[in-house]
Amino acid sequence: MDPAGIFAINYAQDRAIVRTAKQWLALGIFMAALAALPFIVHPRLIAVANIMLISAIVVVGLQICTGYAGQVNLGQAAFMGVGAYTAAVLASRTELSFFLTVPLAGIAAAGFGFVFGLSATRIKGFYLALTTIAAQFVFQFAVLNLPGYWLGGSNGVTVPPAALFGHRLASDISLFYLCLVTAVIMICGAFGIVRSRFGRAFIAVRDDDVAAGIMGINVVATKATAFLVAAFYAGVGGALWAYLLRFVAVDQFTLFSSVFFIAMIIVGGIGSVVGALVGVFVIRAIQEIITSVAPELAANLTFLGGDIVFASMNVFLGGVIALFLIVEPKGLMHRWHILKSAYRLWPFPY
Amino acid sequence: MFGIECHMSEATGPRTAQWLRHFGVSVRTVAAGLTLGLAVSPPLANAQTTYHLAMLADYSGPYADVTPFFVPARVAVVDWWNAEVGAKLGVKLAYKTYDTRYDAAQTASLWPGIKSELRPIAVLGLGGPDVAALGQRLPDDQVPLLMPSGGYGFAWKPDSWVINPRPTNAHEAIAAIKWLKAQRGGSQPIKIAIVSSEASPSYLDVARGIERYAKDNPGEVQIVETIFTDVQPTDLTTQIRRVARAGAEVISIQTNTAVVVATKRALQALGTKIPVVTTSHNGLLTSGKALGGLNQMEGDYEAYGMATASDEDTPARRFYEKLKSEYKLATPWNIVSITGIAQSLYSVRAIEHAVKKFGVSGLTGAKVRDALFAEPIRSEETFGILPTLKFSKEAPFPVEGLKVNIATVKSGKYINAASNVEIPLVSKW
Repeated sequence: MDPAGIFAINYAQDRAIVRTAKQWLALGIFMAALAALPFIVHPRLIAVANIMLISAIVVVGLQICTGYAGQVNLGQAAFMGVGAYTAAVLASRTELSFFLTVPLAGIAAAGFGFVFGLSATRIKGFYLALTTIAAQFVFQFAVLNLPGYWLGGSNGVTVPPAALFGHRLASDISLFYLCLVTAVIMICGAFGIVRSRFGRAFIAVRDDDVAAGIMGINVVATKATAFLVAAFYAGVGGALWAYLLRFVAVDQFTLFSSVFFIAMIIVGGIGSVVGALVGVFVIRAIQEIITSVAPELAANLTFLGGDIVFASMNVFLGGVIALFLIVEPKGLMHRWHILKSAYRLWPFPY
Repeated sequence: MFGIECHMSEATGPRTAQWLRHFGVSVRTVAAGLTLGLAVSPPLANAQTTYHLAMLADYSGPYADVTPFFVPARVAVVDWWNAEVGAKLGVKLAYKTYDTRYDAAQTASLWPGIKSELRPIAVLGLGGPDVAALGQRLPDDQVPLLMPSGGYGFAWKPDSWVINPRPTNAHEAIAAIKWLKAQRGGSQPIKIAIVSSEASPSYLDVARGIERYAKDNPGEVQIVETIFTDVQPTDLTTQIRRVARAGAEVISIQTNTAVVVATKRALQALGTKIPVVTTSHNGLLTSGKALGGLNQMEGDYEAYGMATASDEDTPARRFYEKLKSEYKLATPWNIVSITGIAQSLYSVRAIEHAVKKFGVSGLTGAKVRDALFAEPIRSEETFGILPTLKFSKEAPFPVEGLKVNIATVKSGKYINAASNVEIPLVSKW
């Protein structure tokens, strides 16, 4: 719902994401604040921001697949792993610039994801979830059992730092800008995809794939494309992860991570790009707050013992996620839309 | 008040001078008092310089069950060192524990904060995710990561900032297998089976290390089969029957307790007795407990490059008792607390060497690492908990003079079977 007095008078205005001058101003201030972040906040928060930005790219991809196209995907961490390994191998052996390794990582992951997307054309729901879990295991077994000189096997792959015009991007601040720019490009791309005919096809297939087929949408291609896009996003995120840690090993991309990615889109709001970003922010922020607060509590509440404090902190994290699922299963974005509409309609009831 | 005339100093603000004047005190009097105070204060040499240690722990990940035993042991050692060694050197080690969830992402996000908040001279790590997250960063940050466990074949690289006090689990298993061969006698190679899992790179790494040694030394060790199973296998009867028929004399399990339990159940079902060799993290006591009693592990072995948790009166045990009685260590004498003690001990000794080599002031992580490479940490310095550790830049763990201790269960009792068993030379795999 637009603010009172705002009317789209042409198609371009109707499609616009940022619709008013105030929204442009808010976006500008937000972007400026993000750009200035390394000069404002504690170094720890820059590292947290790096992880959040990488997670955001991966989760936005998952949102397109699961939130928009309705295809359950529990293999997003494996797709991320494929991207990470691709970038790691290319960077360490061919010394390609990250300008090439990052997109190539996305393409490799997209190819891997597309294979599993094909299975989505025949099965759905619970069975599809199981098939995507298989992606996790195929990835793990492939890495560990292929000849060691291909992907390093159990040894993992050490990654040289990204470099830009001879300048090493090894510090948290330089990596922050690399992640920020990539995330902005990928998020803009996501908005473009979901507003395009592909995005509309995703939503149609999600809502009713039989009806979508009758309407002339190629359901098979749409489902496979959803996986391809999700895996591309995961691959790009994986490449950034490889440059962040500079060491890639198979146990960094587990089913547990995939489940957490799903939790992020549920908390943020299924079917919303901004919801995915909000979900990443909320879950990661809670994790980080807990991780920061717990040692302080353990040090000050010695009578409780460190084990009880740390354990209760994690029960708290699980409780927060469970609370979201019970109280607001449509996610925080749904709540935000209600609040916004109520504000704009005031004094009339929503 | 004191009948002394006030004189306002140019350096002192008028408000301060007025305030002092209110009490009848001159600025000169205050300055004289301060000078006198400094003159009679204890000499500067007695002041303690504080350095920080960051301790990484897993209170909420896969090792959450052992962390409550592990962390207090680490802390008690640092407390002991501060009180009995650091006080004399004029150094105090402050520490802070961080929960990494055994997750590389969490460690990576924590590290910049740790670095700026604590400026640690060493990090006491926990496991593979810490190595993955920090291994490439530490050379830039110049802080050594001191690990508690054995090294990994995949981390066997020169000039490392990640340090392990023990060699790889493969090294330790090979030492035990060779010792068992010597006990058996004869010149023919000892036939072994390995039970491993592809679920974790570190499990696979151990199997690859043993396989490499067997390949290089066919006259000593012959592998009848490497069994790859789940992390939590339900039944291994078919696989164990196969290796028993192939004549396996020893089964090496360096993975986890669940695999030991499944293997022992299979052996019991088949009525076959083949000794099992385990390591510290799936040892006789924990596996025996999981099986329902230590007597279930009769004739099996555990081997690692640390003191065993036997009840014998050793310097290691006496040091533990001291920590328990004087430094509030409440955890029992078991392999987990020994691992924590060992990690802290070689860490504080490395710092101690650095203080002696470079002096109290200006100690850095790089100096601690230099001291670690410069001078061995003698076994007596760690109360026999660790063998003499001679680190070099060629590997993240000592590659010379390595020794393991081997424990077994005899008549239902956990005892030390052999001490200081030499580890043979193992090539990189």
